[in-house]
Amino acid sequence: MSRNPLFRSEALEAVRKEEERWKKDRLGPQDLESEGRYATASGIPTHLLYTPADLAEMDYLKDLGFSGLPPFTRGIYPNMYRGRPFTIRQLAGFGSPEDCNRRLKFLLEKGATGLNIVLDLPSIRGYDSDDPQAEGNVGQCGVALDSVEDLHALFQDIPIDQVSVSLVTHLPSTTVVLLSAYMVMAEERGIPLDRLAGTSQNDFIMETTVGSAPEILPPGHAFRLQCDVIDHITRILPRWNPVSFNGYNLREAGTDAVMEVGVAVANALATAQELIRRGRDPDSFLPRFSFFWDLHNDFFEEIAKCRASRRVWYRLVHERLGARSHRAHLMRFHVQTSGITLPSVEPLNNIARAAIQGLAAVLGGAQSLHIDSYDEAYSAPTEQAALISLRTQQILQVETGVTRVADPLGGSYYVEALTNEMERRILDLVDQMEEMGGIVRSVESGWLHRRIADFAYEQQRSIESGHLPIVGVNFMPASEFRPPEEIFRYPETQQRQTEKLRRIRKERDTRSWKRALEGVREACRDGQNIMPAVQEAVRARATLGEIQRVFRETFGLWSFPLH
Amino acid sequence: MDRPRPIKVLMAKLGLDIHWRGAMAVSRLLRDAGMEVIYLGNQFPEAIAAAALQEAPDVVGLSTLAGNHLSLGPRVVQELHAKGMEDVLVIMGGVIPPDDVPKLKREGIAEVFGPDTPVERIVRFIRERIRGTLEDTGPGPHSGPPPKSVGE
Repeated sequence: MSRNPLFRSEALEAVRKEEERWKKDRLGPQDLESEGRYATASGIPTHLLYTPADLAEMDYLKDLGFSGLPPFTRGIYPNMYRGRPFTIRQLAGFGSPEDCNRRLKFLLEKGATGLNIVLDLPSIRGYDSDDPQAEGNVGQCGVALDSVEDLHALFQDIPIDQVSVSLVTHLPSTTVVLLSAYMVMAEERGIPLDRLAGTSQNDFIMETTVGSAPEILPPGHAFRLQCDVIDHITRILPRWNPVSFNGYNLREAGTDAVMEVGVAVANALATAQELIRRGRDPDSFLPRFSFFWDLHNDFFEEIAKCRASRRVWYRLVHERLGARSHRAHLMRFHVQTSGITLPSVEPLNNIARAAIQGLAAVLGGAQSLHIDSYDEAYSAPTEQAALISLRTQQILQVETGVTRVADPLGGSYYVEALTNEMERRILDLVDQMEEMGGIVRSVESGWLHRRIADFAYEQQRSIESGHLPIVGVNFMPASEFRPPEEIFRYPETQQRQTEKLRRIRKERDTRSWKRALEGVREACRDGQNIMPAVQEAVRARATLGEIQRVFRETFGLWSFPLH
Repeated sequence: MDRPRPIKVLMAKLGLDIHWRGAMAVSRLLRDAGMEVIYLGNQFPEAIAAAALQEAPDVVGLSTLAGNHLSLGPRVVQELHAKGMEDVLVIMGGVIPPDDVPKLKREGIAEVFGPDTPVERIVRFIRERIRGTLEDTGPGPHSGPPPKSVGE
């Protein structure tokens, strides 16, 4: 189709001519010489000043359009935050589900509009709280969840038919079990499944690449479970996002903004292709895909990343997946501000960093937001630190006026040029991974792990050399170390969870429990969708660790390709 | 001329901690500083001590951002001692609340390095302790007054 450039060529010619004159007359030799030395955090070269000449090819309607219309550069909803403010979704999770339930109620009482549950590492990696592998980690960094009973305790007196809930389950294998447990809990509370709104993370990159662990499922099997969850859930939970393609943790582990989006989008594309291969209509599942971005300090690049990612996804869905419905093309994403940018020295400075990153998320058109707490470099947030994060969101939402206008930076020559360049680089990376045999192969070969390790190494060198300045660390270093006034302490959890597990194992019907676990084993082997069998097992009070052990036994283990 | 053999470091992620970025980056930077580094990946104390018995390292580096430092860290020291390796220098890095640092040091962890520690400081610390240079290293990264703890 022919393009309809916004700028007339004569006008652009005049701008170029004037630019040359300006360079010659107004800029010094130092300015001209240093021009090539400036770049964004992802290495995109940046000029001193941007003009329409940097957007010579721009076709307004094709490249930008209107909010709520293709290619969705300007946002996915026509009325954006006027119609629906971004969801204030602060992460919470520590201790036992009973402990965590109190923090969830605290956040809701203070104005949180969604919940976001972070799990402890044994739960994430599929071990019960009384497993020897869990030692030292029960209730640390997240809440311990062993069985459906724990889901009941975690959400006790919380209206889950009204509040949307994000379950940060990370791995597909954990999502399979805990999302099943969430549904069984809702059934047992008498809440219809079509009332449940929320998201589960369910990303095989988390299982195999972002996190290292003593026991890891092979990438191909982890990818299959990821697809099983989406395939099953889109048919029975109409308001649930069964996947959150996670760029966030990949970025934190060590990538730039381009790779963060590129890998998540490549995973989403491969997932869609697999579901189409299984005979599903792309319009039936694509509307439930969701994404998760990490916003770092390079303010305009992060905003451009959000805008570019929507356009990339629209184009891929349109050109490669054959979807027809409007909703199938919308990239809905959650943002969390960056944990790794928060140093432990002078921790209160992190309130400023997180607020600026959060502002970028709003200007980038995010659907929901978590703002990190200043004490992140030490521990989980204290109640006071969590409240400051929540209040920062409310300040952005109602005091700054930034939510009044859709895509307020659209049309900035700089932001548009960066958006174009981000889009180009993201698509190049998606194609590069396709050439390597696809996303699963890029993981199996260790390519992705090596890219992350190299990036992390180079970035640390840049910090050591001072090339990457961090205020209070290598720029104007703090003269004395001052820890925060309060530090969060995790409550004792392992013993309480162990007692609960003992009771559950004693009281459950051994025969139906055994039969249900056998059903899971069969479903693993014969390739049918895993979800119904796992739900049956959860209903029979099989624990997370028991079901995950079946996965490990039937799928085998994979060794992490780095040493 | 005889050069001394390189300092040998055994690096492990403690238990289930999934955050491998720091341990991997520090391992490579220690190699750049001329040390020999063996990266074990995720291991529990018994396995770390068993690997140490085989590899005879000068230093065992433990990385955790997962809150298991107090429960598993001292166990590594105990396991090493039980196997007769009292001389191995055990150091730790990661997200560690400052008021846990004195407890770890009492249990035999020689030093604890926080998330924004320059690797150069880790290199200096290891060299001084292993090569026996007596130069003062100055205060560690967590030498402030202990904060008060709050629970839920």
